Amino acid sequence: MEREAAELFEEFKELTASEFFRRNKQMLGFSGKIRSLTMVFHELITNSLDAAEEAGIRPEITIDLKRVGKDHYILKHSDNGPGIPEAFITKVYCTMFAGSKFRNIQSRGQQGLGCSGCVLLSQMTTGKPAKVISGYHEGEKLKGMEMTFKMDVKKNQGLILSQEPVDVKSSGVSIELHFKDVSYSLSEQGAFEYIRRTVIANPHAKIRFRDPTGHKYIFDRATDIIPPLPKEVLPHPRGVTADDLIFMAKHTDKRRFRSLLTTSLSRMSTKRVNEIQKSTGIDLDKRPKDMKWEEAERIVDLFSRMDFMAPPTSGLIPIGHDQIEKGMREILTPEFVATNTRNPKTYRGGVAFIVEAGITYGGESGRIVGDQKRAEIMRFANRVPLTFDQGSCAITEALKSIDWKRYGIRDLDNAPITVFVNLVSTNVPYLSTGKQSVAPEAEILHEVRQATMKIARSLQKYLRAKKAAKEEELRSKIFESLVPVVIREAALLAETDVPEYDAVLAKVTRRAKFEGIQLNSEVENE
Amino acid sequence: MNRKEIAINKLKSLGDRIIEDVNQNSVPAVKIPSRGTSNLVYDEDKRYYILGDRYGQRSLGNVKQINKIAQMVYMANFCKDLVRRGKTATLREMYYVSEGWDVDFGDQQESNIVGEDLEVSLGMTREDLGLMPEEDGASVYGDLTVQEDDVEINALKSGKSGYTISPTIDDVEFVAHDVERVIAVETMGMFHRLVQEEAYKKFNTLIVGLKGQAARATRRFLRRVNQELELPVYICNDGDPWGFHIAMVIISGSAKLAHVNHDLATPDAKFLGVTASDIVNYDLPTDPLKDIDVLRLKELSKDPRYHDETWQIEIKKMLKIGKKAEQQSFSKYGLEYVVDTYLPEKLDAM
Repeated sequence: MEREAAELFEEFKELTASEFFRRNKQMLGFSGKIRSLTMVFHELITNSLDAAEEAGIRPEITIDLKRVGKDHYILKHSDNGPGIPEAFITKVYCTMFAGSKFRNIQSRGQQGLGCSGCVLLSQMTTGKPAKVISGYHEGEKLKGMEMTFKMDVKKNQGLILSQEPVDVKSSGVSIELHFKDVSYSLSEQGAFEYIRRTVIANPHAKIRFRDPTGHKYIFDRATDIIPPLPKEVLPHPRGVTADDLIFMAKHTDKRRFRSLLTTSLSRMSTKRVNEIQKSTGIDLDKRPKDMKWEEAERIVDLFSRMDFMAPPTSGLIPIGHDQIEKGMREILTPEFVATNTRNPKTYRGGVAFIVEAGITYGGESGRIVGDQKRAEIMRFANRVPLTFDQGSCAITEALKSIDWKRYGIRDLDNAPITVFVNLVSTNVPYLSTGKQSVAPEAEILHEVRQATMKIARSLQKYLRAKKAAKEEELRSKIFESLVPVVIREAALLAETDVPEYDAVLAKVTRRAKFEGIQLNSEVENE
Repeated sequence: MNRKEIAINKLKSLGDRIIEDVNQNSVPAVKIPSRGTSNLVYDEDKRYYILGDRYGQRSLGNVKQINKIAQMVYMANFCKDLVRRGKTATLREMYYVSEGWDVDFGDQQESNIVGEDLEVSLGMTREDLGLMPEEDGASVYGDLTVQEDDVEINALKSGKSGYTISPTIDDVEFVAHDVERVIAVETMGMFHRLVQEEAYKKFNTLIVGLKGQAARATRRFLRRVNQELELPVYICNDGDPWGFHIAMVIISGSAKLAHVNHDLATPDAKFLGVTASDIVNYDLPTDPLKDIDVLRLKELSKDPRYHDETWQIEIKKMLKIGKKAEQQSFSKYGLEYVVDTYLPEKLDAM
């Protein structure tokens, strides 16, 4: 029997964000057993890094993953951040969509759902409550609070089951969650690789990890420098959509649309606003709330045809080439590393971005597949590893388009190298809702290529020098083994004694001092 | 000094030169005359190819060349030992012996090249150095007595296929003979025809069955009977560019072995036929020239070995008639025709 639309919508209206995502957990990235666990790691680690950096603390994270049954794990995740005050604990972990501000800031967060998504997943798969211990400073006092709670998805808020003050030694949050239907994997998409890559892109962080087999990994920090916090910058006219304009209009306290434009967008002078008014004929003195969708569309359309200064890049905080080098050296222990941070550029005329690249050779570089070393591409967006949808990503596409043979790498897939690319932007153009691959914007492709080709040239130089040194060594070896043979055989041929030939050997091996006396006497003893 | 002593002395001198350089604290190098086509010179007086003045260096100070020197010196010792003990080995045997050396050959081709290097730099054939080709030489029928070690062989009494020229032909001594000339033919078919028709009696000749391109031993044999026994040598081959060239290699030597042509070429040998004129005059059954035949004829016409007028006329004539004929095509007129009519007429004309 068909149901009426009104009936269906009745149901729809009742859904809170939590309830909606409970029914559509794949939209949080929780699809597939391996991916689900990686997303949990991502959300918790990102939260801890952000919190520590905001508080000016060098992040230190300890993760303990226990396997208690098939596809059933207990995850304990602790950090040394500033902690969460008692009143906010359930807000952080049980409420989805906390803010509604239009923010144009470089951030690790991808969905804005964060830790609450993890709690939701835990609850949906096991029905078990979450346990949190938070240590935080209140004034001079260090307070500790232990809390168990569930998420009330219907109300989109927490349901506290127990809570009691505890003694803590320092600030920081520790959360314990149960999960089923997830799976720990060492594959490129798995949780372990996620941690490894995170540490490379965040060399100021230290992560301890105990895997389900009990093996303990310590990823030490390679630098003590905490990166500066990204600053929020006003969006550039070229980077906004009609929907963004309407959203801004709804949430502004400005009285006139004109002042909304000048205060909400960068590179937007009064002169420009007048041009817009003249060109579109829209009265910009009206109240923002009166702005119609169709008008917003016309304004955005005009933006694309107007000349603007490039967007400000002050909000972009790259990792920095020396920090990338430290990160790669620490984790990959390579023979060779080269890194490169490009100058800021813009795509679609209005979104600023920076591309950073690194390449390593030897050591732990590359991935071992079977008994072969394969090249490994590590993609990042704002320091966050992108481990899924590699094939469709602009970064992969750009790297594959490079003629690697020119850089002495015959076959990119089968070289013992790791290529690192980080895209920094206030607005990373993701291809799909999973936010795991970057759209092939021409400018981004170009920058990735340029950044990588430069360091590939350095690698080529290194490989050449290495080859030359090896050949030189081989040369010396050939001389040292053959010169005595030739002279011995020549003496036999001439029917005479083997002469003294140190000087000749020294000449051919181009060694000033050669201690070949044993060689000589060996020959004579024969 | 016999060839054996010369060989040993030349081999020793290679070692001497290297040791001398070492004693003077200079990096030894071996000069090897270049065998490239650009270093081939046709000597008008000698009437065969010789090597020009260009040579390459094999220096002990070069990582690639030192390997070659080592191979060469080892091989020289191996050869010296062979010659001294009066033994021979094939190139293939030497290749296997080299497995025990402190320097190896990648493949037999590599050892063959080093063998040639040794020949060229010492100016001796590899047979002189105790290295023998795999294949036997031609068959010889006729009244010639040779001595191999302590065995005397008469080429009339060695069966219908005659005496087979051994690769060690330089160790063979000519004891006696009762012939006036030598007729060499390209195919064993013709050889047996001449034997059956008793051509050896009729023309008082040695019959030599070349079996295609003449082996080094065969060429050495022909040169020796020509020089030592002063017998004129006639060659009768198929009437095509390939037959021409088999004859020419006997007469003027090959380009590839220019460094040993002085021991192999028989400049006084004469090409009897089949010529293009024979094809016309005797109205022989023919095959049309193939593209590759035409190409080869054109190549030959530019070769300095063919520069004399008779050859030029014959080549042009063959290109003009566009036909070639096998030597056995004379049997059109009966099996005896070649011995009864063709050969006497041609020998008379010479």
